[in-house]
Amino acid sequence: MITIKNLSHDFVIGKKGRQTIIPVLRDISFTVEKGEIVTIVGRSGSGKSTLLNLVSGFIHPKEGEIWIGGEKVSELNEAKFADFRIKNLGFIFQSFQLIPSMTAFQNVELPLILKGVNENVRKQQTEEMLKKVGLLDYQDHYPGELSGGQQQRVSIARALIVNPPLILADEPTGSLDSETEEELLQFIKELNRDLGITFLIITHDDQVADIGNRKIELLDGRIVEGVLV
Amino acid sequence: MRLRDQFRFVRQNMKKNRTRVFMTILATAMGCAFLIVLASVGFGLQKSVVKEMTEQRVITQIDVHGQETNEKGGFRQLTDKDVKIFEKVKDVKAVTRRKQLQQESTYTIGNYQEPTQTFVANFPSEVKAGFELSKGKLPKSKDEVVVGYNFLLNLASKDAGDDMYDERGQVKAEYRYTGKLLGEKIGLTVTQFKDGKQVEKTIPLTVVGISKKPTKDWAQDSSVFISDEMLKEIEAFTGTPKGFMLDQNGEKPQGLEAGYDTYDEVKIYAKDMEAVQSISDQLKEEKYATYSVVNELKEVNMVFMIAKAGLIFIGTIAILIASIGIYNTMTMAVTERAPDIGIMKAIGANPKTIKRIFLLESSYIGLIGALIGTAVSYVISYTVNFAIPLIIKQAFGKETEINLIFSDIPLILPIICVVICYGVTIISGLRPAQRATKVDVLKAMRREV
Ligand SMILES: Nc1ncnc2c1ncn2[C@@H]1O[C@H](COP(=O)(O)OP(=O)(O)O)[C@@H](O)[C@H]1O
Ligand SMILES: [Mg+2]
Repeated sequence: MITIKNLSHDFVIGKKGRQTIIPVLRDISFTVEKGEIVTIVGRSGSGKSTLLNLVSGFIHPKEGEIWIGGEKVSELNEAKFADFRIKNLGFIFQSFQLIPSMTAFQNVELPLILKGVNENVRKQQTEEMLKKVGLLDYQDHYPGELSGGQQQRVSIARALIVNPPLILADEPTGSLDSETEEELLQFIKELNRDLGITFLIITHDDQVADIGNRKIELLDGRIVEGVLV
Repeated sequence: MRLRDQFRFVRQNMKKNRTRVFMTILATAMGCAFLIVLASVGFGLQKSVVKEMTEQRVITQIDVHGQETNEKGGFRQLTDKDVKIFEKVKDVKAVTRRKQLQQESTYTIGNYQEPTQTFVANFPSEVKAGFELSKGKLPKSKDEVVVGYNFLLNLASKDAGDDMYDERGQVKAEYRYTGKLLGEKIGLTVTQFKDGKQVEKTIPLTVVGISKKPTKDWAQDSSVFISDEMLKEIEAFTGTPKGFMLDQNGEKPQGLEAGYDTYDEVKIYAKDMEAVQSISDQLKEEKYATYSVVNELKEVNMVFMIAKAGLIFIGTIAILIASIGIYNTMTMAVTERAPDIGIMKAIGANPKTIKRIFLLESSYIGLIGALIGTAVSYVISYTVNFAIPLIIKQAFGKETEINLIFSDIPLILPIICVVICYGVTIISGLRPAQRATKVDVLKAMRREV
């Protein structure tokens, strides 16, 4: 599903002439098979988010290759990557990233609108998805009118609505209490088992890391050897 | 993303800041209304001038004044030979030619008289050009004449004093001849100096026809048409071509003899307006001096063309100023919505789609502004056309003589305005839209934008 070859990345900060290069990722290579749940763990600042952002296409790698589902995404330009994302990737963020001026329904419907799906089909699929995450009664609520757990379920519904084969999640339980965290992990397992969706999840929480088939540990931008299960 | 959804998006976004959008639309509408109203004055005045010009004269008419004979401005009056040439030119409907008696002739009937002008006309060509009688018939014999429609109205009593004319310059009814004219005999008095003495001769004529009332109210036709033979008789009496009056010494000016059998008024009537140009061009090549409204119209239209372009240019500046507002509004909209844009980009919105949505929003503002501006300018235009004559009437105590159109909005004007407005809107919306596509996903998600 995902193949990463010799990926390196660094950030350049400061004005011209007084630039500092911050190395973040060094020669990362790993694979995620179809149907796997892989978790990435590591201390804060070890480069987990940067790795996921590279896979998501939010930033462009300095060196190395990223392949997703047979496509060399590290070569795609911004517009092509956008089209690739809408078709193949689902996202779950720590802070949900819902559009505050849109209702739960509209937030979930948004990817279908961007894809150009017809209105009737959209309505039916959105309602189905809201039902699946148990929020059909809350469809007209704005994100501000929902609890953290409910908001995360809306964002999962939004990620699932385009039937992506791969879901990328950066600290999905970071803003949730332990009870809702447990619920979410069960849901992820269910989706993986029933729909065969592949997950790449970043976490610093051991409980979350345990749901994965494999754990990749980052330390100062490198994969810690021997942790691959 | 479907167009319908893009439109819905734009409308939802615009609703989020109604006041700001409304103000921007208002500014755009004002700019457009300014452009249209300003330019409409040019269109209106042009319409008035053209109307005035075409109403006073027959549009298909070409006056031929003579032919240049050499480079030094020598000039020759026209004769039958020229008329023959004109009649052969393509698309010529009729060539009327008139000789004018070269002195003021006085006509008398009983105790009534009228000084007026006398012509010899070629009636077949006059009829072809549109000449009609209101009464009687066309003259056949030497002493038969046709008089103009207004001849009867100006036939005044010999006893009338200086006060015989009313304020409109017409003979007052009390002094006017009221008897029968058709079939009656009138006397034409011609004069000449002979051996230093003024000699008069009165020739009896019979009125057989009265011409049709001129179609234009202000036009007056009191002339009398005599026969060519009668002119010959007058020439025999005066000893000069067309009854030219000599001065007291009886001296003949140079070149006078060439005046026999020449025409004083030659008019060519073209088949239609389009033909006027080609006919005048052909005549110009033969060095004939011509005048036609069509030619003059061309020049007048040219002047107005430049004036209108200038007015539209000034109006465009107003729209450009309004476009600064659009630029501002769109920039603020992009800034405000940057977090949303970032989220949309993160889940896979194409930058092109985002750009299109913002361009759509700015053109929406521009087009609504242009439409409102157009509607308002029609209202202003009607009001101006209605109110200004009233104001003039108030100020000067009388109605405007000519029917001036102060403001006219032909369909092309709103079209020009919408096109300009749309173009300006797109240009001013381009940069903000471009900025929207550049929103950084990660910064937006960290709420750093
Ligand atoms: N946009 C950026 N510009 C400069 N440095 C960055 C940027 N993003 C992350 N970093 C740096 O890269 C390192 C890794 O960050 P990150 O990937 O967010 O770590 P993690 O998610 O594991 O906590 C940190 O030292 C951070 O300071
Ligand atoms: Mg992180």
